[in-house]
Amino acid sequence: MNSLNLSSTQIRNIAIIGVLLIVGGFIIGLLTPSLFPAQASAEAPLIDNLFQTMLIIGGAIFLLVQGLLVYSAIKFRAKPGDTSDGIHLHGNTTLEIIWTAIPAVIVTVLTILSWNVFNIMQAPKDDELVVHTTAARFNWAFAYDAPLSLVEAQGVDIANLNLPDNVKADIADGTLTIASTELHTYANRPVRMDMQSRDVIHAFWVPVFRVKQDVIPGRTTTVRFTPTLPNDPTNAESWYPVKCTELCGAQHGAMVAYTVVHPDEASFNAWMSERMMGVLFPPPDPVERGFQLLSSNIYPCYTCHIDADLAEFNWNGNVGPNLTVVGDRAVGTRANATGLSGVDYLTQSIHEPGAYLVPGYGNLMPNLGISDCDTRAIVAYLCTQTASGEPACTIDTEAYAAQCTAGAPPGAPGAEPPASAPAETTPEAEATAEATPGS
Amino acid sequence: MASVSLPAGAIPGSTQQTAPRLRVSDFLRWSVDHKVIGVQYMVTSFFFFLVGGTLAMMIRWELLTPELDVAVSGAQYNTLFTMHALVMIFLWIIPMLAGFGNYLIPLMLGAKDMAFPWLNAFAFWLIPPAGILMLISFFVSPPEAGWTMYPPLSVQYSGDGQTLAALGAHLLGISSILGAINFIVTILNMRPAGMSLWQMPLFCWSVLATSIIQVLATPFLAGALTLLLLDRMAGTTFFVPTGGGDPLLWQNIFWFYSHPAVYIMVLPAMGMLSEVLAVHARKPVFGYKLVALSSMGIGVVGFVVWAHHMFTSIQPQLRIPFMITSMIIAVPTGIKIFSWLGTIWGGKIRFTPAMLFALGFLSMFVIGGITGVTLAAIPFDVHVHDTYYVVAHFHFVLYGGSVFGIYAGIYHWWPKITGKEMNARLGHIHFWATYIGFLASFMPMHISGMLGMPRRVAVYLPEFQTLNTITSLGAFVLGLSTFIIIIAAVQSLLAGKKTTANPWRALTLEWATTSPPPATNFVNDPVVFPDPYGYGTPEAAAYVAMIEAQFDGKPSSERGIQTGGATPAPAPSVGD
Repeated sequence: MNSLNLSSTQIRNIAIIGVLLIVGGFIIGLLTPSLFPAQASAEAPLIDNLFQTMLIIGGAIFLLVQGLLVYSAIKFRAKPGDTSDGIHLHGNTTLEIIWTAIPAVIVTVLTILSWNVFNIMQAPKDDELVVHTTAARFNWAFAYDAPLSLVEAQGVDIANLNLPDNVKADIADGTLTIASTELHTYANRPVRMDMQSRDVIHAFWVPVFRVKQDVIPGRTTTVRFTPTLPNDPTNAESWYPVKCTELCGAQHGAMVAYTVVHPDEASFNAWMSERMMGVLFPPPDPVERGFQLLSSNIYPCYTCHIDADLAEFNWNGNVGPNLTVVGDRAVGTRANATGLSGVDYLTQSIHEPGAYLVPGYGNLMPNLGISDCDTRAIVAYLCTQTASGEPACTIDTEAYAAQCTAGAPPGAPGAEPPASAPAETTPEAEATAEATPGS
Repeated sequence: MASVSLPAGAIPGSTQQTAPRLRVSDFLRWSVDHKVIGVQYMVTSFFFFLVGGTLAMMIRWELLTPELDVAVSGAQYNTLFTMHALVMIFLWIIPMLAGFGNYLIPLMLGAKDMAFPWLNAFAFWLIPPAGILMLISFFVSPPEAGWTMYPPLSVQYSGDGQTLAALGAHLLGISSILGAINFIVTILNMRPAGMSLWQMPLFCWSVLATSIIQVLATPFLAGALTLLLLDRMAGTTFFVPTGGGDPLLWQNIFWFYSHPAVYIMVLPAMGMLSEVLAVHARKPVFGYKLVALSSMGIGVVGFVVWAHHMFTSIQPQLRIPFMITSMIIAVPTGIKIFSWLGTIWGGKIRFTPAMLFALGFLSMFVIGGITGVTLAAIPFDVHVHDTYYVVAHFHFVLYGGSVFGIYAGIYHWWPKITGKEMNARLGHIHFWATYIGFLASFMPMHISGMLGMPRRVAVYLPEFQTLNTITSLGAFVLGLSTFIIIIAAVQSLLAGKKTTANPWRALTLEWATTSPPPATNFVNDPVVFPDPYGYGTPEAAAYVAMIEAQFDGKPSSERGIQTGGATPAPAPSVGD
């Protein structure tokens, strides 16, 4: 049987069913908006529309198959006591060609549509905002090349600031690297994420943007999007989650950061210049600065260490040694074991984590490339982590203030000109050209 | 249609059977009888199905709430889904389908055994040690890098259990290759006189396609696992970038095996579906040649789609070719679905439990197929990659497809394997509980994935709790439904009525012998009916009557046959 031999009534019925299926597909397609989160990027409508096309076609096929199934189950049910067989029909070449050809046409069309959308998503855009992204178990760090003109417009005389050498090296190209644990963007500015991983594979996903890209150790991967729907930079509830979508270990599900989409460039620049001022004019007290660094989580220490004083900042990792009273240990058992002073021991633990392993712990901690000034501030803070609350060790506060701070920002109360003596270059500072956290 | 004639020696009542009945202990020791081996495969893998199911229940219990509460740590949760996937894939679906193949292929071909009986037994006996390795790994220091074992996580951060699990997977790969070689040789060389390739039952075609895939693809798994073990134990850095390796190398080799493995897991179930639909709808399989060729087509195209598992990791310019091939594979899959619909159209459908599960397979698999096409579209895949949408998709294929197919196969061939009838009412309850539990469990996952829930997370944002609760409740129904078939099986074994040689009045050769078959399968050379799906012809009716007369004394037409699987106890006859 190679032709269908349909009567005109059958052709009419098939046409009616075909129309009903297409209408049904369109009705199912109406579900699309309720299946997606908000559309917050220029790419989101493209992807949603592509899905809607697939849902309409898939919905019609779904109705066709389930309809035939239910119809057959009712119509061709064997009556009780009927032991006869069904019709002896081996196939129908015409029908088989039809159901080979139609799916082939459908997938061809879908391939072309998808290819087109993918090309738009991948195409480099003019004037992209580049965000250097670093993924590590289990946090995200974002870094920007902030133009110095932003702070110069606020009266900061960059050329005459007494900056640590690592910051000087960083600003040589006219931009200052600033770090953030939130992803800041603004509406309608194309963004390019250049992403690297410190350890295992992670994946960057912002559901409202519909973009995802794995972050693979050993290479830089890129993803592009253009945010369109701003949220409220002052209300963290409104920020869009960034989720890790490649299994990376114990706290994979909690590896969430947030995206702020500023309404306009002015708002974004205001945030950026505020961060720049924080980098250029850190607190002169190293303990205060250390607390600022550790509580901001721009370094991933908190993912592996516990510190009771920092508990409210998610310091609850239980992979590495507990740091709650690390000051006591540094000058006590550790100093005895290593022969180093408390400060030297803590510094070594940051720069060469494998040099001395705390009994019971493996050599897991990477060298995070923390700059000399930040290291000194962190060590100063860790020295204060004692049972009594009294610092077990201290660093040279004056040297720190002279070498690592540039005084108070212009316009701040009690602003004084920065110390005049240029900082002495330390080997660590030269080695770490990438000065700022998280970069 | 060729006329059917009874060979000399196959005169009704002349086949005296005095084969000793198999005891339970016979299944616990080395045997080269493919039927014993088939049952060993099935029982072993069903045990692991229960293990994997228990893990699934723990996963769903954890996900009832957004916080971590059942598992003591995120790492422990990771071990749950890692073991769940490893057990379900390597110790349940693949060996279960191998069990059906072992039991049925020689019978369907009218052969006395597989081509290499000793090798067959050896392939099975690799499974218990591999399973033990996997189970030990869970209690020692469990793997927590997912069944995909992506480095560097699996190399640098996963426990020693990762090594044991990889060794277990290695053994299972060897078992799989040996089994596949055996199937290919058996199918190509041991068909009876009068059965060309194009007259084979479609299950044989699907096992042939599956075996070719296994022989070609599984060595890549072995290679990948070997490199992984070297990285873990010998300090090499094939996959570790800090030593110059590349994590994407693993993904490419792993998926070069593991995508074809999806077809290893579903093609034999599709073959069983073709058998069950034709027999219980009393109709020839629609478009036999195209169905057989589509199995081969899926097998071939399945080798060039692997990178669609890597749409968010491989270089963007490499993604397009894999989108094209992944879209193409929808065509042979569509052919199968429409051919099955053509098979039941115009039939005389008997709603046996086997048929219900076969129809359930069809209705679930089409959903998995449609979502599969959406996942091939890169822009949409980029959004839902590694989310619950993907989890929903592959459970629709592997549970809605493979497991429903396995259930259909169990209900269909149970009388042949055990010689006992199974309670059809319990089968119906089992089907509806499974069907409803399945839909409630996996349908909402599409939505939670699209809305923003990644897979493999122990904690999630509270907005997803409603969907997750529905999923978990559905999963609990699904889990409990498994006990119904166990009850039905035990009841059948202990108190089931004896069945006949051919209770479904089928035309394929496994029914042309007693239930259960004797040690040599057939006392006399079986008579091949030239068309395995020749329902609706007088010759077919005559053939069935001949089988009934030969093995059960008299044709069912004289005994008053019933539909629905409840065949009356046969009259006492010498044929039993």
